[in-house]
Amino acid sequence: MIKRIPVYVWLLTPALLFVAAMALFPLVYSLVLSFREWKLAQTDIPGQWVGFDNYWYLLSDDPELIESLWPTLIFVGFDVVLTLLVALCAALLLQKPSPISSFSRILLILPFVMSPALIGISFRFFLNPEFGVLQFLLSFLFPALEGRIWLADRWLSMTAVIASDIWHWAPYMTLVILGGLASIPKETQEAAQIDGATNWQVFKDITFPQLKPVLGIVLVLKTVFALKAFDTIFTISNGGPGTSTQTLAYFVYHTAFHYYDLGYAAAAAYLLTALLMVCSFFYLRLVFKK
Amino acid sequence: MTKITLHSIDKSYGEVQVVKNLNLEIFDNEFLVFLGPSGCGKTTTMRMIAGLEHPTQGTIAFDGKRINELGPQERDVAMVFQNYGLYPHMTVEQNIGYPLKLRKVPTAEYEERVLRAAKRVQMHDLLHRFPRELSGGQRQRVALARSIVRKPQVFLMDEPLSNLDAKLRVIARAQIKHLSEELQVTTIYVTHDQVEAMTLATRVAVMSEGVIRQIGTPEEIYNNPLDSFVASFIGSPAMNLFDVSTEASGLVILQNQNTNIMAPAQGDWTMGFRCEDVQLCDPNAASLKTEVFTFELLGDCTMATAMVDGKLLTVKAAKDCRMQSGDALHIKIDPQHVYWFDYQTGKRWLQI
Amino acid sequence: MTGAVTSIPGYQPTLKSRLWSMTQQTLILLLISSIVLPILWMCITAFKWPRDVYSLNSAFWFEPTLTNMVTVFQHPWNLGSKIINSIAVASGAVALAIPMATLAAYAFSRYEFRFKKTIFLTVIASQFLPGAVVVLPYFLMFKELGLLDTRSALILINLSIVLPYAIWMIKGFIDAVPIEIEESALVDGAPRWRVLLEIVVPAAIPGIITAAIFSFTLTWNEFLFALILTKQDALTLPIGLIGFRTDRGDLWELMAAGGILITAPMFILSLMVHRQFIGSLTAGSVR
Repeated sequence: MIKRIPVYVWLLTPALLFVAAMALFPLVYSLVLSFREWKLAQTDIPGQWVGFDNYWYLLSDDPELIESLWPTLIFVGFDVVLTLLVALCAALLLQKPSPISSFSRILLILPFVMSPALIGISFRFFLNPEFGVLQFLLSFLFPALEGRIWLADRWLSMTAVIASDIWHWAPYMTLVILGGLASIPKETQEAAQIDGATNWQVFKDITFPQLKPVLGIVLVLKTVFALKAFDTIFTISNGGPGTSTQTLAYFVYHTAFHYYDLGYAAAAAYLLTALLMVCSFFYLRLVFKK
Repeated sequence: MTKITLHSIDKSYGEVQVVKNLNLEIFDNEFLVFLGPSGCGKTTTMRMIAGLEHPTQGTIAFDGKRINELGPQERDVAMVFQNYGLYPHMTVEQNIGYPLKLRKVPTAEYEERVLRAAKRVQMHDLLHRFPRELSGGQRQRVALARSIVRKPQVFLMDEPLSNLDAKLRVIARAQIKHLSEELQVTTIYVTHDQVEAMTLATRVAVMSEGVIRQIGTPEEIYNNPLDSFVASFIGSPAMNLFDVSTEASGLVILQNQNTNIMAPAQGDWTMGFRCEDVQLCDPNAASLKTEVFTFELLGDCTMATAMVDGKLLTVKAAKDCRMQSGDALHIKIDPQHVYWFDYQTGKRWLQI
Repeated sequence: MTGAVTSIPGYQPTLKSRLWSMTQQTLILLLISSIVLPILWMCITAFKWPRDVYSLNSAFWFEPTLTNMVTVFQHPWNLGSKIINSIAVASGAVALAIPMATLAAYAFSRYEFRFKKTIFLTVIASQFLPGAVVVLPYFLMFKELGLLDTRSALILINLSIVLPYAIWMIKGFIDAVPIEIEESALVDGAPRWRVLLEIVVPAAIPGIITAAIFSFTLTWNEFLFALILTKQDALTLPIGLIGFRTDRGDLWELMAAGGILITAPMFILSLMVHRQFIGSLTAGSVR
C-alpha cells in the first residue's frame, strides 16, 4: 500500500538511485574489467579473463607503475603539508577583523573557482623560458635558476605542479581554517592571557589543540584531492618530463587512453581507489565522530 | 593588596561610546560589584581593568602605577568568565594548574597548590575529568579554582553565576563570598542581578549607559537611592514609581485621588515607595483606593498588585492575607518612606 | 586578542610590537599579491598583440587590442559553441541535481530510518572516487549507447560528481532551519510536500543557491570527463583551452582570452554569494 511506504522513501529514491547507479556501476564494472585483458587498440571486444594477472604485474613488475609511485609520494606529501602550512599561516594572519582581512577573505574564493586546467596552463605560461614572467622574477631573485628551463627539469617541473595545486587549494583551506578558528571560544584564549600566557603560548597551548579537529579534516581532505589530482598535471607537464610528474592518477589515464590497455588501467585505477578508500575512512571517522 | 584607580575612562567602539568619563577608586580588599542592565558598560569596564580591552582615553592604575600599556599577562589579575573559559582539551587538574605551569612552578609545589585550590571548591576528586564531562556548577567551581591557585592582585568575576540554575546560584554565591573573605583579595564582580549585588558587595556601583549612577554600600543604595534609575533597579520587586502631580496645597494626586501625602513642593514629581512601606488598611485611612489586579502567594508573604495610572503598584502583605482579583484594595502609603524624584531629571530630591 | 592597543592616544608601542605588526602587514600583502598578480597578468596577456606576449620587453607598456577576444570565437577555435556547451551542461546538471539533492537532503535531515547513516556515508564517500575509475566504464557504456560526444552524456556524468556535494551542503542548511516552523505548518494542516516547498525551501534558499552555484562551478571547470567523453560536438570550455596548444606552439594570447571567458563568470557568481559561500564551505567541511 502506498500509504505504508514512508515519505522519506519517495524523497530519497531519485537521488539515491542515481548516486548508487553512478557510483556503483563504475566500481563494479572497473573491478570486473580489471580481471580481464583488453587492449582497445587491437580489439573492440572485451578480452579474456586473466584473473589477478593484471594486479600481479602491476604490483611487481611494471616499471612505469613503480616509477609513478615516487612522484605520487613526493607530490602528495609536499602538496598536502605545504598547503596546510600556508593555509594555517594565512588564517592566523587574517583572523583579526579589519578592512584588509575582509577584502582578503573575498579574494580567497577566487583561486578555488578557477579551473585547475586553466591554472596549469597559466603556470606553464608564467614559467616559459623566454617570456614567462615568473621565470623572469625567480631567476632574478635566485640566480641559480638563471637559464633553467622549468618544465624540462625533473625537480622544477614537480615544483611547478605542486605550486599550482597549492595556489588552487590553499585559499579555500584558509577559509576552512578561519571558520575553525572562529568557533574557538574567545574566552579560552582570554583566560590563558589572564593566566599569564604570551601570544605564542596561547597559540601553542590553547588555540592549536582546539584547532586539531579542523586541521585533521583538512589534512585528510587535501590528501584525497591530491591523490586524485589530474587537471593541473595534465596541463602543466603532461606527466613529464619523462614520467617525473606522473602520479598514479595520471598513470591510470595514460595507460587507459594512450596505451589503450584498458584491463590493466582498470586494475591500476582500483589500486588508486583502494588508497582513496583508506583516506576516506579516516575522513568519515573524523567528521562523524559525534 | 591592591588599590585600583580609574581616571577619566572613556571607551568607544567607532561611533558608539560605551563608557563615559568614568572615575572610580577601588580600595584594597573590597568587594566591588558593578551592577546594571545589559549594555551599561559594566563588563567593558571590568575587561579594561583586566587588560582585555584598552580605554580610548583615560588612565588605569594599580597602586598608583599606570598600567594602561600592560597586557593581561603582566597585570597579575585572575578572572572568572561568564562561560567559564575552561580549556576543553585539558583535564580539571591541567586547567587549574595552567597558570602555575606558565610560571614554571616546580612540580611538588605545583601539585600541592593545585590540590589545595581544588579542595577549596570541592573538586579534588574530579581532577582527571574533562570540562565536557562536568555539570555547569562543577565547571564554575573549576574556573574559580583556577583563579585562586595563585595569589593575584585582583579577582575579576564576569557574571559567574548567570548560567547556573536558581538553587545552585544560591549555593555558589555563598561559596564565592566565603572564598573572598578567606583570601582577602580585592574583588571586582559584574552582574545584572541585584540580589547578588546586595548580598556579596561591600560597595555597589550602579551603572547605566556607560556612567556610574551611584556608588555606595548595599544599604546606602537600597535606602538612599540618588536617582530614580537606581531606585527602580534595586529591590525586588522594584520600587513603585509613579509620575504624580499636586494640588495647589501640595497634596499629591494619584489616579485622580487625593492621597493626603505632602510633596516637597507644588508641581509634578516622580514618587517612589517600596512595596513593604505600603499597608492594607481601612477605607477611611487609605491614601489610595483601587482594586486588586493580581494576588500572589509567595510563601513567606503575599503580594497584591493593582493597576494604577497604567502601571502596576505592588503591595507586600502578610502571609495569611488572602485576596482575589477584583477585590477592593485600600492602601496607606507611609509618607516617611516616600522618595521624591525630580520629574524631569529623575534626580532624588533631598532635604537640605 | 587584546584590542586596538595602538589606537590610544599617548600609547607607546614597543619596537618589537611595531616590527611584528609590520611583518604581518607585509605578509598579508604578499598573500594578496600572490592571488591577484597571476590573475592580473593573465588578463593583461589577453589584450596584448602576439608580439608583446612573446617577449618580456613590452610587459607593461603595450598597445592593447581586442583582437584576441574576437579571434577565439572564430574558426577553428569556436569558443562560442564551447561556451554554449558549457552553459548547457552546467545548467542541465544543476537543474537536475538541485531538486534531487534537496529532496534527499530533507530526508536525511528530518527522518530516521534503517541504514540511514550508512547510506549517507556512502553518498558522501562517492566524492572520493578517482576520476579515472569512473570515466573508464562510462566511456565504454556511452560508446555502446552512442552517447559519446553528446551534451547529455556530460550532464549525466557531472550529475554524479555534483550530487554528493549538493546533498551534503543542502543538508547542512536544512539542519539549520528550526524544526518548529515545520511543526507549526503541520499543525496548521499542511501536507508534507507543501511544508517542504513552501516552508523549508524558502528558509534554506541561501544554502540552496550556494549549493547550486558551487555545483555549477564544479561542472563548468570539469576537465577529465569532458576530455575523455567528447571529441568535437560537445566540447566544453576547459577543453577549448587545450585546443590552443598547436604543433607550432602554444598560443598564449588566445589562451589568456579564453581564460578570461571561462573564469569571469565564475568570479562574478562567487562574488555574488561570497558570504554564504564562505560560510557553507567552512561549515560543510568542519561539521
